[in-house]
Amino acid sequence: MALEIQRERYRSKVGQVVLGATKEEGGTRSHTVTVGGESTLPFLHFEGEMPHRPVIALEITDMVPEWNPCFGEYYDDVFEDTAAWAKKCVDEYGADLVQIRLQSADPDLQDRSPEECAATVKKVLETVGVPLIVIGCGKAEKDNLIYPVVAEAAAGENLLLGVAEVENYKAITSSCMANLHNVIALSPIDINICKQLNILIAEMSMVMNGRIIIDPCMSALGYGIEYTYSIMERARLGALQGDRMLSMPMIGNIGHEVWRTKEANTPVEDAPGWGERAERAVLWEATTAMAFLQAGLDILVMRHPRAAALVRKNIDELMQDNSY
Amino acid sequence: MGLTGLEIFKHLPKTNCKECGFPTCLAFAMALASGKTSLDLCPYVTEEGKAALESASAPPIKLVKVGTGDHVLELGDETELFRHDKRFFHPTGVAVLISDTGDAAAEAAAFNELEFDRVGLHYVTDVVAVKCDSGDGAKFKAAVEAVAGKTEKAMILLCEDPALMEGAAAAVASRKPLLYAATADNYEKMVEIAKANECPLAVRGADLEKTAELVDKIVALDYKELVLDSGARETSQVLADLTQFRRGAIKKFRAFGYPSITFTTGEDPLDEIVQAGVFLSKYASIVVLKTAKQEHLLPLLSWRQNLYTDPQKPIAVEPGLYEVGEVNADSPVYCTTNFSLTYFIVEGEVENSRVPSYILSVDTGGISVLTAYADNKFSGEIIAKAMKEAGLEEKVNHKSIVLPGHVAVLQGALEEESGGWKVMVGPREAAGIPKFAKENFA
Amino acid sequence: MIIIGERINGMFQDIAKAIRERDGSIVQEWAKKQEQNGARYLDINVGPGSAAPIEAMVWLVEETQKASDLPLCLDSTNYDAIEAGLKVCKRPAMINSVPAEAEKMDRVFTLAAEYDSEVICLAMSAEGIPKDSESRVALAMELVATGDGYGVPIENLYIDPLVLPCNVAQDHGPEVLETLRQVKLISDPPPKTVVGLSNASQGTRDRELVNRVFAVMAMACGLDAAIADACDDELMSAVATARILLNIDIYCDSYVDVFKQA
Repeated sequence: MALEIQRERYRSKVGQVVLGATKEEGGTRSHTVTVGGESTLPFLHFEGEMPHRPVIALEITDMVPEWNPCFGEYYDDVFEDTAAWAKKCVDEYGADLVQIRLQSADPDLQDRSPEECAATVKKVLETVGVPLIVIGCGKAEKDNLIYPVVAEAAAGENLLLGVAEVENYKAITSSCMANLHNVIALSPIDINICKQLNILIAEMSMVMNGRIIIDPCMSALGYGIEYTYSIMERARLGALQGDRMLSMPMIGNIGHEVWRTKEANTPVEDAPGWGERAERAVLWEATTAMAFLQAGLDILVMRHPRAAALVRKNIDELMQDNSY
Repeated sequence: MGLTGLEIFKHLPKTNCKECGFPTCLAFAMALASGKTSLDLCPYVTEEGKAALESASAPPIKLVKVGTGDHVLELGDETELFRHDKRFFHPTGVAVLISDTGDAAAEAAAFNELEFDRVGLHYVTDVVAVKCDSGDGAKFKAAVEAVAGKTEKAMILLCEDPALMEGAAAAVASRKPLLYAATADNYEKMVEIAKANECPLAVRGADLEKTAELVDKIVALDYKELVLDSGARETSQVLADLTQFRRGAIKKFRAFGYPSITFTTGEDPLDEIVQAGVFLSKYASIVVLKTAKQEHLLPLLSWRQNLYTDPQKPIAVEPGLYEVGEVNADSPVYCTTNFSLTYFIVEGEVENSRVPSYILSVDTGGISVLTAYADNKFSGEIIAKAMKEAGLEEKVNHKSIVLPGHVAVLQGALEEESGGWKVMVGPREAAGIPKFAKENFA
Repeated sequence: MIIIGERINGMFQDIAKAIRERDGSIVQEWAKKQEQNGARYLDINVGPGSAAPIEAMVWLVEETQKASDLPLCLDSTNYDAIEAGLKVCKRPAMINSVPAEAEKMDRVFTLAAEYDSEVICLAMSAEGIPKDSESRVALAMELVATGDGYGVPIENLYIDPLVLPCNVAQDHGPEVLETLRQVKLISDPPPKTVVGLSNASQGTRDRELVNRVFAVMAMACGLDAAIADACDDELMSAVATARILLNIDIYCDSYVDVFKQA
């Protein structure tokens, strides 16, 4: 029997979202980053298009984070200067995007004002040329005060702003609508809520069409990763089969999840059977990212520069043509 | 899956003789497809047609076994493209490469120790691949025997010169190693060796099409214990070829109806693991690695474990009392179910709280807090029993326990059943634990 | 299941009048209305009394395409009219329909291969509509095997098991449903299936109720498409719900709206 290459014919493709805006487009970014647009499953170039490679964002916070001490080697000199930190991520570690978490606004931490947050974002915008992802402190009440101020201060920059959830999506969506930013729609490992949230946001305004990125809620390797993996696969297949309410590109906060795990933090002395911590931890993050790339992740938010470099190499390899 | 009417019809005589009791061959084919009649009723179907129909109804991917005894590695017999459609059945065999030019015995002994305990599960590196780099038959044989003497796990013999393979294969034939590999140049001789020793045989073509041709030639020699290698080594091409193997097999392209083997090429072991992860994610039956370090293998084996779980079945952690951090008799105690996702989320947040604590994982058959509560598998009585079984009374001196906020309603019942423990109602979502701990236990 | 909107049909007086007077506005209005309510194809039928069916078909196709980008389903027993229609279709269309008769299959499958069209295949022969499902399936298989021989991809074939009114041919109902199930065993990929939904309720008092119930029952048997009234909101809601219950679409609270808008 003669070999027949099996090519799936999908009805539709993933939507495209442009992040950032150059001077001509009303912003100050040196370039924009486009994600999405896939017309097949990840890296199956033999049957469809993957017009934009998945991108890596490095995450930073606006206050000295309580991260594993191993990050000191990379960031000790910039932990206290958010803009310098962002610059180092881009210049030295090749980040395609930078994600700033406005942690200091947390009322239980420094309770910084929305204006101070906006000033931080402005400063980072002045220091780096890549498009930015900005997410709140995680306390909905406070975040709802921050979004409008930050969104206005960065009007024209076409930020990716997060996060919108089913219980709290209106304030952030309005901020994005008013100032033409993009929004992260977060759903807790639940494809039905994911779809509903996209509908709710889309219903608020036509403007949000092409401005939504799905966060299916990451989980780390060994900690329920397979649930997220399968939800992402189902969502992506849904998108390719024409479900427009699941056809948005996907983002995942990988570093944040991975660096909470035991495997990333436990030294070999406390887990003698697991091997030396440093490379184990880097691989824990890189393997998590690798798996989600196979499930269709478009924006990977990572923490460890070495893990990011490994994943970038993996993406390089996977983007090579494999058509028959 | 059964055959379709059209597939069956192709092998029928198309004479519409009606002797089967159906008006046309088409109607008979449809009745066969729906399992309403038997092929025996057709007096004119050829032996060839019968054989073709039988082979077409075989499972899409053949089950091939490597190794023996407790360490037999089952490969193939998969039916799905996506785990959410049903599940993946036979986890990818993770192999470590040993050269016959080094200290094979020592490396094999070290390989044998590559087992891990994590979250109550035991992960194993399954296969050792011995490679003939020496070009010396005696040396290769000695290395293979040395490895066989140090580990009972499954083996792969890597050598493309049949003259060198012959002796080594015979020496460990009783271990049923996978012989790698038959190629266009050596396949006749390799098939002979595989047949003589009853060992599975890997088949490597120059590309996808050449691999299919080679498989057909070997099947024509009447050997079917095969494992496929398309010859590709670039990550992207391997991903594509593995996808074609799986899709082809499911579409009943018989040459691809076998398990597959892949090799990493990365120089840096970290690159290797990421590359291996891609192959493992997308259908490889075996990945052969160069690195044998614990810190490299643990992430890969964890991903394998996660990917191959049954999505229909909730995954449970072993019920019992877990310690987070340096606990002592004053440490707080949280209780939750033994649904793995719930447990790990709680564990993560307890860790984040930075207060060393116990977590009592109550056996709910692996279902989440609310489902278990609704099902009466997470009641005051059951939690109290689990507290007793875990010997909580002897572990802590404060006689208090934290209940998940979602089942605050159980507070009274648990206080009663536990014989006077103080039951604190914790947060509804695990994310609230650090704050809760700060307020109550700091 | 997808809906092929049935309304642009000369059987309806407003469309017959529009054709006679070459008034495109009414055609365009129905095209838009059906699309907005969730139709995925638009059936185009010049009606029984048309004096010049070929010209009428071309005109209807062109007018419809002014208002909607949906693919069209050219509905006629006059294959010259269908060919003329195919020539002016902007995107691949569906031919409605062909029975299992050699000459007609030759004409239609040749057209389908040339114009990359889908085809509705009627499970009937020159002898008429068989009653039992086995005979219907055997005809379906003949249609599939023949179409395949002409190079028409099997996924482009829609088997119509032929629904008869439930008040006069009640015993056909279970046979039609069984046929829908069996057709999926013909090949891999299997052909698709389609019914003319309103045939089921012809002459009954509660037509819409019969249509809705029959639609969801047929969907449970694997029905892929129905020629139906896309403007029957309750029918569309029932179809959207059945798609969720059959795990075709992914659930969300607003699934009915999503189905109509998609």
